[in-house]
Amino acid sequence: MLEVSDIVTSYGKIEALKGVSLEVEPGKITCLLGPNGAGKTTLMMTVAGILKPRRGSVRFEGRDLAGQAPRRIVEAGIALVPENRLVFPNMTVAENLAAGAFTRSDGAGIAEDMERMYARFPRLKERSTQAAGTLSGGEQQMLAVARALMVRPKLLLMDEPSVGLAPLVVEEIFRIIRDLNRDGTTIFLVEQNAHMALQVAHHFYLLELGKVTFSGAPGQLAEAEVIQRAYLGSKKTQ
Amino acid sequence: MVTFLQSLIDGVTIGSAYALLALGFTLIFGVLRRLNLAYGSSILVGAFAGAAVFAQWKAGGWAVAAATLAAAVAAGVYVERLCFWAMRKGAAIASMVSSFAVWMQLEEFLALLFPGRTLSFPPLVERSVFELGPFQFRTEYVAMLAIATLLVVALEWTMRATRFGLAVRAVTEHPEAARAMGVPVARIAFWAFVLASAIGGAAAYLMASAEEQVTLHSGMQLTFTGLIAMMIGGIGSLRGAVAGGLVLGVVETLVQAHFGATAREIAAFGLLFLLLVLRPGGLLAQDFAVREAAALRRV
Ligand SMILES: Nc1ncnc2c1ncn2[C@@H]1O[C@H](COP(=O)(O)OP(=O)(O)O)[C@@H](O)[C@H]1O
Ligand SMILES: [Mg+2]
Repeated sequence: MLEVSDIVTSYGKIEALKGVSLEVEPGKITCLLGPNGAGKTTLMMTVAGILKPRRGSVRFEGRDLAGQAPRRIVEAGIALVPENRLVFPNMTVAENLAAGAFTRSDGAGIAEDMERMYARFPRLKERSTQAAGTLSGGEQQMLAVARALMVRPKLLLMDEPSVGLAPLVVEEIFRIIRDLNRDGTTIFLVEQNAHMALQVAHHFYLLELGKVTFSGAPGQLAEAEVIQRAYLGSKKTQ
Repeated sequence: MVTFLQSLIDGVTIGSAYALLALGFTLIFGVLRRLNLAYGSSILVGAFAGAAVFAQWKAGGWAVAAATLAAAVAAGVYVERLCFWAMRKGAAIASMVSSFAVWMQLEEFLALLFPGRTLSFPPLVERSVFELGPFQFRTEYVAMLAIATLLVVALEWTMRATRFGLAVRAVTEHPEAARAMGVPVARIAFWAFVLASAIGGAAAYLMASAEEQVTLHSGMQLTFTGLIAMMIGGIGSLRGAVAGGLVLGVVETLVQAHFGATAREIAAFGLLFLLLVLRPGGLLAQDFAVREAAALRRV
């Protein structure tokens, strides 16, 4: 569904991605693990069109989207749940959802999808007229997910959705990820929580210093080693 | 007591025009996170254009208002292209410094075109004073308050209820997230700039028509009034901008009533200083306003 090949993305002279290739299969949950600074967020932003790659291609359902405007990428069916959630704090929950649907112009369809989000996340419904900044961390994460779902994406990019949340809330977020996937959304997930990620992933990649250093199914690499490399990077590449 | 209440009424009235100035400033700062020091001079271009139309054709209020707004928007677009769009890849300070240069440029331009430096401006309504109980109302100020209130309400509605308003607020709060949702951030910023220039033009029109004149040196006053009212209210908050404008208007009027016109000049800075010490984020402090205020002080 998504094929990233040989992507190079830099910040000025610093190459954050040094020729990354990976694939996300339709209907699956694919995870990207790796230590801080590996380039995971950079990859997500490149796929979402916020950063332009120097080189390489991002094919989605056969079309090359590399370097396209974010709007085109959203319209093609990819939505991003950004790192740190980035809900709009002074806008209400309902306004956040409406902002998520910015590229759409079918008022009735938007209203219908908003109701679907409220059905999926009842806590958001209770707080629909509250400013997003007043929500708890877990609720903000749900809102960030719901906001991304407002464009009915085929592929959902999630950048560290569990970071900074209490263990019970983390479990809830992972349950939501599973549910979404079961209902047909393909998921490409960046995580720090390797233990939880390996439980939901069908396939995972390790990214270290801008390069993919492992690709396989959970179980193909001992969890202890995954965790070691996801937090600290492998000795070889460091 | 009556004097105090009278000052309050006068203060709210002039404050409503300040609120418009602050709203324009806030819109621009919100979407770009950059200071536009040319703001006052660009809307002054509008007021001079209005005065020129009046001088040339003795045109009525509507033609003068239209000329004022159109020229303010044109000057605003010029500032946006030169100091913000062209500098978008550079540091925020580059925009600030270049907008300072354009401020000087626009003032020189006006000084060359209008060597008299002070032009008369048509009043919005016929000047008269009427009394309501112990209070005096001047018609031109009542008209100013009414129009400013109408514009503030219209802007509030635009920001709450339209797609454009939603996008402006999203860009103001998290440009990165807005971009990820397909909001064309640069285009929204441009139109926010246009809207801000029109609002600033309206404020300049109201103030000039109440005073029945425009003078060249009011450019700086317009910039600082907008900037200070924005900072008092809480940077980035549109409601804060309205509150800041009203508070500034009231304080200035009260200070003038008790300590004279010279004291009025420094009242704004005194108030700003006091607030930054007591409440660094402004009256309606928001999380990010506190951060932005800290960032601004570092500049
Ligand atoms: N805006 C930026 N400007 C310069 N360098 C950046 C920027 N964002 C990230 N980097 C650098 O790019 C590399 C990858 O960062 P990032 O993609 O955020 O990693 P991760 O999400 O895996 O923690 C890091 O070395 C980081 O310092
Ligand atoms: Mg990251």
